[in-house]
Amino acid sequence: MSDIKIAPDDIKPDMTIDCKGLSCPMPLLKTKKAIQKLQPGQILEVLGTDPGSRNDIPGWCERAGHEYLGEKQDQGFIRFYVKKGA
Amino acid sequence: MSAWKRAYENLCTKHWSPMLGGILLAFLVVLLEAWYRPWGIVGGLRNWADWFFYTIGLYDEEPALHPLWSSTSSILDIGLIWGAFISAALGREFGIRIPPKIEFVKAVVAGILMGIGASLAMGCNVGGFYMAVNNLSANGFVMLIGLIFGVILAIKYLYWELERFPSSGGFEISFHKINPFLGIIALIGLLIATKAYFGSDLDRGEILGGCLILAAGIGYVMHRSRFCMVNALREPFMTGDAEMGKALTVSLILSAVGIAILKYNGIRPESAYVTPTFVQGALIGGFIFGFGMTVAGGCGSGSLWRVAEGQVKLVIVAIVFALTNSLVRHFFAEYEVIENGYLGKAIFMPEYLGYAGTLLLIALVVLVWYIVIDWNEDSNKLVLEM
Repeated sequence: MSDIKIAPDDIKPDMTIDCKGLSCPMPLLKTKKAIQKLQPGQILEVLGTDPGSRNDIPGWCERAGHEYLGEKQDQGFIRFYVKKGA
Repeated sequence: MSAWKRAYENLCTKHWSPMLGGILLAFLVVLLEAWYRPWGIVGGLRNWADWFFYTIGLYDEEPALHPLWSSTSSILDIGLIWGAFISAALGREFGIRIPPKIEFVKAVVAGILMGIGASLAMGCNVGGFYMAVNNLSANGFVMLIGLIFGVILAIKYLYWELERFPSSGGFEISFHKINPFLGIIALIGLLIATKAYFGSDLDRGEILGGCLILAAGIGYVMHRSRFCMVNALREPFMTGDAEMGKALTVSLILSAVGIAILKYNGIRPESAYVTPTFVQGALIGGFIFGFGMTVAGGCGSGSLWRVAEGQVKLVIVAIVFALTNSLVRHFFAEYEVIENGYLGKAIFMPEYLGYAGTLLLIALVVLVWYIVIDWNEDSNKLVLEM
């Protein structure tokens, strides 16, 4: 049973992708593809509405060697933050 | 934090682990089969579609089953959606989610393929695979082979689609604030409906009431743990993650032991959920269904709990799936496809291997499966490159 990690306030993303309205597995696939375009240390912001992303994105970060920075609740969607690993 | 608040969080808002979901699912499907019948999804959906086609005049004969509240097939689907809605609402996760346009096209195509696949396999991943394996029928693992190849092909398609059709512009109509309120109303409604069945004059009132509340339990458990057989079969090839896959293997062997006891002791007929689809129906149906469910992002059961969460894409998948399945099965009936054995034979494994031998075989298959996906979690050897 996982706790929700809240992202720090001062995060500045280098890239943002829109996954709103999408359901599993599309948000994770788009995240996986987008992170390929970033440099290690850069931050990806994923806008999503699928509650499944709360498991998928942190779980995938751990496996793929990226750092999951947390989420922020916005009006009608969630912002997820991923820092690309080396 | 008060103990009350903690209990609410643990029971209603936090996601349960897939393993907990798999174990509870096995427990509930054994209870349901002990109560009255094996768990199923597509039968209820097809029944609704049969009534739709009958009402608009496409079918001449009235469907044999009652459309809504007095057939168990229908009740199982209503219960699953109801239970999953309670979970989604109490956890503040219910919201109408409108996907980008391309997802609507995918939903229709995927629904059609799922309808065809579930006709050939005489069940979706639930009736044709999960419940077939644990009812000790040989077609279950054959469908699994088909499903896996369908899933692999669909992952390749999804990779291709990402390159060519980048999509955005979906949104959610959120009910964040009133969610828990909706959940409590739905929960009270469920209890009242169950009580009404038990006290009703209907022929099988008690049976139906039991099916409703057990199916609602299944829906609640699946939603809270986001138990997803697509995820279980897909992730070893997409990210390497094996958590859901391991949970599914444990769920399969636990439920198989439970249902084997019911059948061995004559509580349920040995022929229950042993369908004449060994080998070709299960294999080809599994392949087509596996491709469809991966593009849909939900199998038979997974689509329904996502419907309850407000995912519009899966609502379309479920509707098209039901309509297609009804049409194809209608066509099968015209040409007596099933009766003529064109889909294969019905094989109840204990007739050949005995009960102990069958359970050992199932245990062996899930053990090998468990070890392979666990090994792959580290090595990523099976993961398809993007």
